Amino acid sequence: MKNRIRVLRAEQAWSQAELAQRLGVSRQTVNAIETGKFDPSLPLAFGMARMFNRRIEDIFESEIVAEPAGRSPNRLG
Amino acid sequence: MSEPNPSPGRAEIPVDPTSTHAASPFIRTRSPLPMLAFASPPTAPPTVPTWVLYRSKIELALSLLAYLMVLVGTLVFIQANPTEPWRYDVLGLPLVPGAIALWLFVRALGRLGELQKRIQMQAFGFSLGATALIAFAYGFLEGAGLPHLNWIILVPIEVLMWSVGTLIFALRHR
Repeated sequence: MKNRIRVLRAEQAWSQAELAQRLGVSRQTVNAIETGKFDPSLPLAFGMARMFNRRIEDIFESEIVAEPAGRSPNRLG
Repeated sequence: MSEPNPSPGRAEIPVDPTSTHAASPFIRTRSPLPMLAFASPPTAPPTVPTWVLYRSKIELALSLLAYLMVLVGTLVFIQANPTEPWRYDVLGLPLVPGAIALWLFVRALGRLGELQKRIQMQAFGFSLGATALIAFAYGFLEGAGLPHLNWIILVPIEVLMWSVGTLIFALRHR
């Protein structure tokens, strides 16, 4: 999942450690999320949205391509 | 005869303030409502003393120290009284601080962050599988003639595999 945390964090002039302290997680967690190696849980994603005063979809972008409406992804043909 | 009052000139008409004119781009409007429920980012949490951050580790270390002390005391006591009928009850005493250490360890796992929980879950899975693989492999080698080992050696092997797994999966998430 792509995200804009590094940019938003730079706008606030926060270090990874400072953001981690504000979120109550480790610096390694913030780094893994920024580099896309770890997807946060919903509570942590909401905490980030609250921290940056943005909506979750303004921060995170899913890489899964949505199926067209009316088509079940489980049905073939 | 009084002269009619002349109409006032253009320069004498009072000019409305721009903020009250209907066509003015500076007309006062209501400020837009905030689109988000969060008015402002929350402030940083208060800093806590350093010892609080390591509280779980300190408690776990103290419980392990208590376990070792009771274990050594029990062994000394049993060596001095090898034939007493209640020696089996005394030998069970180290289980009490051991159980406390186990409870503190599980509680510390529950307090880990979500990334650390994921790393530990993968490390425990790796440790379990690798230890089983090593045990089965050595079991076959014993059948081929290698010396028989005490099963208690599986505990340090599992701890070693857990450490290796933690290192591997922590590096993968860097």
